[in-house]
Amino acid sequence: MDDKKKSVVLEALTDFITFVSPYFFYFFSLENAWRLIPVCFGFFGLIMLIVYCAKIPINYNIRNLKVRYRTTLLTALAFILVTAVLTGLMGFINGLKRLAQATGNPSNVIVLSQGSTDEGISNLAFENMGDIAQQEGVQRKNDEPLCSRESYLVLSLPIAEPVPGSPTRRLLQVRGLFDPVASAEVHEFGLISGGEWFSEAGVRPNANPNKAPLVEVVLGQGIAKQLAGDRSQADKEKARNKEQLEVGDTIPLDTRELVVTGIMKTEGTTFDSEVWAKQSVIGPLLGKTNFTTLVLRATDPEQAQKLEDFFTGKDKDFKYEKSQVNAFTETNYYKSQSQTSIQLLIGTILVATVMGFGGVMGVMNTMFAAISQRVKDIGMLRLLGFSRWRILVSFLTESLLIALLGGLIGCVLGYLCNGLQATSIIGGGAGPGGKAVVFRVVVDWGVLGIGLTISMLMGFVGGLIPAMSAMRFKPLESLRG
Amino acid sequence: MKFFMLILKNLRRNMVRSLLTSAGIMVLVFVITLIWSILGFLDMATSEKAANFKGIVTEKWSIPSQLPFSYASTLENGAAREESDVKPIDSMTWQFFIGSVDKTNIGYSTFIFAFCMEPSKLLTMMDELDSLQPGPRATLDKAIKAMESNRQGIIVGQKRLAAIEKKVGDKIKVFGINYRDIELECEIVGTFPPGRYDNNTCINRDYLNASLDAFKAAKGRPHPLAEKTLNLVWVKVPTKDAFSKMSSQIDNSPMFAAPPVKIETASSGVSNFLAAYADLLMILRYLLAPAIIITLTVVISNAISISVRERRKEMAVLKVIGFQPNQIIFLVLGEAILLGVMAGAISSIGTYYFVNRVIGGIPFQIAFFSSFPVLDGALWWGAAIGFITSFAGSILPALSTRSIKVVDVFSKVA
Repeated sequence: MDDKKKSVVLEALTDFITFVSPYFFYFFSLENAWRLIPVCFGFFGLIMLIVYCAKIPINYNIRNLKVRYRTTLLTALAFILVTAVLTGLMGFINGLKRLAQATGNPSNVIVLSQGSTDEGISNLAFENMGDIAQQEGVQRKNDEPLCSRESYLVLSLPIAEPVPGSPTRRLLQVRGLFDPVASAEVHEFGLISGGEWFSEAGVRPNANPNKAPLVEVVLGQGIAKQLAGDRSQADKEKARNKEQLEVGDTIPLDTRELVVTGIMKTEGTTFDSEVWAKQSVIGPLLGKTNFTTLVLRATDPEQAQKLEDFFTGKDKDFKYEKSQVNAFTETNYYKSQSQTSIQLLIGTILVATVMGFGGVMGVMNTMFAAISQRVKDIGMLRLLGFSRWRILVSFLTESLLIALLGGLIGCVLGYLCNGLQATSIIGGGAGPGGKAVVFRVVVDWGVLGIGLTISMLMGFVGGLIPAMSAMRFKPLESLRG
Repeated sequence: MKFFMLILKNLRRNMVRSLLTSAGIMVLVFVITLIWSILGFLDMATSEKAANFKGIVTEKWSIPSQLPFSYASTLENGAAREESDVKPIDSMTWQFFIGSVDKTNIGYSTFIFAFCMEPSKLLTMMDELDSLQPGPRATLDKAIKAMESNRQGIIVGQKRLAAIEKKVGDKIKVFGINYRDIELECEIVGTFPPGRYDNNTCINRDYLNASLDAFKAAKGRPHPLAEKTLNLVWVKVPTKDAFSKMSSQIDNSPMFAAPPVKIETASSGVSNFLAAYADLLMILRYLLAPAIIITLTVVISNAISISVRERRKEMAVLKVIGFQPNQIIFLVLGEAILLGVMAGAISSIGTYYFVNRVIGGIPFQIAFFSSFPVLDGALWWGAAIGFITSFAGSILPALSTRSIKVVDVFSKVA
């Protein structure tokens, strides 16, 4: 190929990639991927329409798949495995992403110390918090700003009877609250009936007068289930509910005990993995007296965005100058925490591509073998008047049929993962921090759309080259064998 | 030898099929090599050593652990009070400094995560740096000497250095994120060897502590974190018994009441940190890797089944000229295994050299591990996977050749 031809080809390739990329990113984002399902079926329908209109002998192909049923099944098995694994993995990532996106109220603004992008490394000066909360745009109740002063900390809690070889401690995320009632109002979380928020004191007397008072806590539903599993066998047998901690249950913490006063309705948010307690009690107990987070309730989402701009200095004419802080609307903050799922998504795409490539090799083998066994049939079809492109469509349809069958079964298997409870970390990417979260795997139409599309793509790519070789056969030479 | 040549000839006869099958094996072995390397590395990090193992002393309840620096000297001594008490062979303190080279724009390209420690401990206590080859060790030693003579000297990982667009010899100002209002003016005196510490930075602990003292002198009050600067203390002990004794010394010491401390083996500490990733690792270990191996077996099985079906006549001829059924089985198995072993070995050995030598590790962030080397085991994994999957995939098609009856085949031909 001379230089001129090369540059034309390169230019065409660049144009093609430029044209296709936006569609690729649009369709393969988890939000829009459900649209791939009608695209897949539409494409398959189009092929079938061509088969019908061009009178391509599809019965011949179907019969061939039945006759070589072992090869068909083995090839379909490769499709099933790749699609099922991919769908399960994407469901895991989708669950993480959904969790991060579903957390947070658009009218809330999270204020952290300057430079902090994660609560775990924030360190707010207490003396500045009052002034920050008094700014215009913050909703007021009973003439007081509606805000939540919080101290986010991670507790390393020993597991009562760890399974040998598994972790001996659980990292527990604890949120110390200055005023639990205000915090509940800011975050809009209620309690499951039968529970109550912790008292003003944050502690209650221990039944054993020789022991220190019990520290009152409320739990997210997810962590309540996990902590129930961490209890000793004896405690599990005595428990009223073996699956989940309930109001009145206690959690040992060295010489102290935490008592559950309520379970929060937090499912589907990152708060589901948290333990909330009175900051003035839990902070000194764990040696953390500073605040990490101030959550302000703005009058509306628009005002929340203005407050974010005001505190971060994005608005040059109207910026907060008394202290330097970092601020995000709560929804933006939790969206930024889905960086981990993006990293996992990239890893999954790479794995899927490589696995898909392996699957393509398998399909190609099958189709090349199918063609080599049917050289005389192809010659006969050509002599009967079937044009080259009809032969191509005929063999391509065969491979697409296997791909569709394998893809659909793979999607069904992947769907079995839907709703499973899992744990992982979400975080903003750069540096330490991140939150351990409990979430549910979500295999939705978007995930199924990606699974089915990958399967169909494998079938298309794996079938196209052998089908092209089949269409090149010359009728008489084929009949001679 | 003749048998081997026959196998080779058969593989060459249908080059397209052999190449397609090899390509399928190679890509799938590539993924398995990456997954097993990540899992193997984490397994090594969480498995206890029999001797010279390390313990980590941290705050008993909270993460991140924040202890007063006054604990350092006692803990470095293993809290030994009596002559008969166990003392560590070596020890090291870590103070984390999280900062940015740009005060207003904090992100991947400006971020600094540093261990503040005694520079000399880099070569004796840090995993992997304590077992460097003479060349890289000498280079790092030179940088350590520079840090010791200039306490503002820092060592920066190679990827971090590239991210902040600096080079050795440059001076940078690091604005504290966890230590608010602490700004460190540093000079880059060297880099870590490529690999595990690519994204980390090492600062001389004396410089951080002096900066905190300077803060107190300037502001008339100690820094809010002044009593919480010590994050971890590492101790190296010779045996498990010594570790148990030291553990008891630390637990019973009256020195560490507020806040209390705990000691755990390094493997246990890492294992606890990785607990949040347990499901992800389980997916990799028990779902992805087996699914790839099964896919690989299916791909090989398919290719060999097709090959056997296409060559029924040829096998009948082999039987006529005196080949025993078992020899034909070995012929089919041999073709599959040769293909599997060769393709698998090429893939995993290629992955080993490409990932370790060219891209410097598998870039995948899990907890504090940002990249993983392909383990030495990869040099034989590919061949082993190729052998096992090709054997499993071809045994049934190979056994099916026993049912080929010469009379049947030739009656059809006739």
